[in-house]
Amino acid sequence: MIHLEHVTKRFGGFTAVDDLNLHIAEGEIFGFLGPNGAGKTTTIRMMMGLLKPTAGRICLGGHDLAIAPLAAKAISTFVPDRPFVYEKLTGREFLHFVGGLYQVPDKLLQTRAQEGLDFFHLVEWGDELIETYSHGMKQRLVVASALLPDPQILVVDEPMVGMDPIGTRMFKALLRSLTLKGKTVFMSTHSLEVAEELCDRIGIILGGRLIALGTLDELQRQAGTEERLEEIFLRLTAAPDMLEAIETLQAATARKFRV
Amino acid sequence: MPSSSLTTPAPWRLLLMPRLQALRNGFRHRAQGGRFRPLVFAVVLALFWVGIFWLFHRVLDYFHTVPELGPVLSQKLLHLVFLTFFAVLLFSNVITGLSTFFLSRDLLLLIPAPVSPAQLFTAKFVETLLDSSWMVLLFSGPVFLAYGIVHESGPLYYLLAFVTLVLFLGIPAALGVIATMTLAYLLPAQRGKDMLVVFSALFLSLLYMLLRLLQPEKLVNPEAFSDLLSFLSAMRAPSSPFLPSAWAAEILLPFLQLKPEGSAGFHLLMLLSTTLFLFVVGSSLATRLYPLGWSKAQEGQRRRTLRQWWETGVAAAATVFPVHLRTMVLKDLKTFFRDTGQWSQLFMLLALVIVYVYNFSVLPVGGVGGSFYLQNVIAFFNLALAGFVLTSIAVRFVYPALSLEGKTFWVLKSAPVPLRRWWWSKFWTGVLPLLFFGELLVTVTNYFLRVSPFMATLSAVTLFFVTFGIVALGLAVGVGYPNFTAEHSAKIASSFGGVLYMVLCISFIGAVTVLEAWPVYVLFLSRLHGTPLSPAMWGGIITSLSCAFVLTVGMFWGATRWGLHRLEALEISL
Repeated sequence: MIHLEHVTKRFGGFTAVDDLNLHIAEGEIFGFLGPNGAGKTTTIRMMMGLLKPTAGRICLGGHDLAIAPLAAKAISTFVPDRPFVYEKLTGREFLHFVGGLYQVPDKLLQTRAQEGLDFFHLVEWGDELIETYSHGMKQRLVVASALLPDPQILVVDEPMVGMDPIGTRMFKALLRSLTLKGKTVFMSTHSLEVAEELCDRIGIILGGRLIALGTLDELQRQAGTEERLEEIFLRLTAAPDMLEAIETLQAATARKFRV
Repeated sequence: MPSSSLTTPAPWRLLLMPRLQALRNGFRHRAQGGRFRPLVFAVVLALFWVGIFWLFHRVLDYFHTVPELGPVLSQKLLHLVFLTFFAVLLFSNVITGLSTFFLSRDLLLLIPAPVSPAQLFTAKFVETLLDSSWMVLLFSGPVFLAYGIVHESGPLYYLLAFVTLVLFLGIPAALGVIATMTLAYLLPAQRGKDMLVVFSALFLSLLYMLLRLLQPEKLVNPEAFSDLLSFLSAMRAPSSPFLPSAWAAEILLPFLQLKPEGSAGFHLLMLLSTTLFLFVVGSSLATRLYPLGWSKAQEGQRRRTLRQWWETGVAAAATVFPVHLRTMVLKDLKTFFRDTGQWSQLFMLLALVIVYVYNFSVLPVGGVGGSFYLQNVIAFFNLALAGFVLTSIAVRFVYPALSLEGKTFWVLKSAPVPLRRWWWSKFWTGVLPLLFFGELLVTVTNYFLRVSPFMATLSAVTLFFVTFGIVALGLAVGVGYPNFTAEHSAKIASSFGGVLYMVLCISFIGAVTVLEAWPVYVLFLSRLHGTPLSPAMWGGIITSLSCAFVLTVGMFWGATRWGLHRLEALEISL
């Protein structure tokens, strides 16, 4: 469903994404992990047409983003890491605006907008200006807007940031239900627990290059450990001195509590 | 132990440091990013500076040659300069004060910090003063220089001019900040929008009042007075002895040998004491009113019945349009009319236009003494000025179109919508009101000028085509220099791209006007003298008019093509 072939992105002399290859099947939840500045958001922004790759090809649902961008965008929606939305619209108006962009028929749009507000507990706020929403509410609204066109592909960048535990729980349940309907989810996250819990496969990117790819079992084999994803992630991405510093701190804390 | 040489600055200075450091870092960053922008900025500023100097020098030089009336006009002009500064600064300080004292993002950090309200007031007052007054300080330089050179004043005059100006700037700043704090305290919470409406209405009334006080039509129509003595006496009367602008002018006049009997010391003390008094009042109010006012300003506006009558009407009317166009236009209209920062600029423009039309209505060219030639020459100026007015509207409402999408542009960019649809929705929502407004403006002013039907038609047709170029160029430059991080729309208009757009647009309008002026001049002369035109002259006329037409169409076509290309290539990495 999602194919990235030899995708590279350079900003001047800096290579943010380097020869990235990914193939994600229909109905899969794919977790895209990496430390800060590894190239996750750049990859996602290229997938959504916000940035143009310097080299390589991106296909969404069989549509090459460079050749048929509108067809590719019509079947995919995006939840960015920061919920920048039109502050002077109400939540309901924003949903109608997004529905209009995706040409959702009027009656269906009304129903889905209401369902979205209901599901994300935003009904009471639906007719308030978005500028009065909290960060988490805006995040929920953006997720509701991304689901409104009933996309084949959902691309989410750090979806849980700023969400309260209820919002997070709702979002996780939602992702599971989407895969049951055959939808494909591409998710970047720093929450390793969420990735471990939800993702069918995980890719780890470091310095713009994909350094690990597979199921949790496959990653454990690759890292030579049977520990949880957090340990695998640290082993693969953290510098040795950083690991040493973490271990020193952990040891000091353990000693203090023993005393 | 910290070194004793590392002293912490006074809290108010410390509070200003991030702003100054950010400014310094901005310059460094720009210097690293290329020299093109600062160079263009410097050239544009220098040109404006030289232009203002040239204009004032010429006018003052001319006044200098006219006995009796000349010195009076020079005095009056100085009063007028300070009065204009005062009116502009008062409005600018209210708007800036609202931003620095109530909306600025750093307040979330500063309010909870252990800083006294008086220190916070001082820091924010200085910030407001600098933000709102730097342009006046910069561009008043050539005015005072021209006065000094024409009247051969000594170094004391220049020193005093600087001191006077600095003290003078403090008064509108303090008044603006006091007004902002008082209104924020008195008005009910959740009424921030109303505050600006009140300020705008106040400004408009003030402008009218000042206009009437000055009676500028008397400057151009001395026949209205029974004799020269009554004219001179009217001119010599101060605009208003209670206005700080009059005090500032009265300080400088004795040093320009324009009013040797004047008491500069008294007026300087008036200015100094008023500035200090208002600062103390402001500081005292900051302790009493500001905390509650700030708290009120934080409360968001909750509106259950958002859909207003016009929104319902527009939504119903828009159903005939394709869904993408309808969706984008409705969104733009709603966000525009709900954003005070955007629509409140209409008040300012309205005031400018009223003054513009008023000036044409009192110009004596259409009266008994007005000549056919003069009327038509002024009609060309009118055409260029109307184009300039349209440009100044477009730089606020058309040029920022993409920048105002801001960090939300990801919504459109990631949606299955061709971006050219966004372009055309912005184009038509920009061009239609501007066409209506521009044609109305040029028709009404030409009516006051009583120009010939030919000239009136030519103006209307030219402005029609020029408007398409103005809007397309505004969108294109806006796409070429987007500013997605500006805190409000006024900042977008005064950015590098905004200045570049103004320069390009003024050059475009100037070129079209010049290309049309020559053929019209030749035609009028031929009519006036009753001499037929030679085939070569006809050829020249047709070529010149064709060039004007090609330039107009070319500007629209070229700007659209370039803008669309840039829009498609635009990358979003926020």
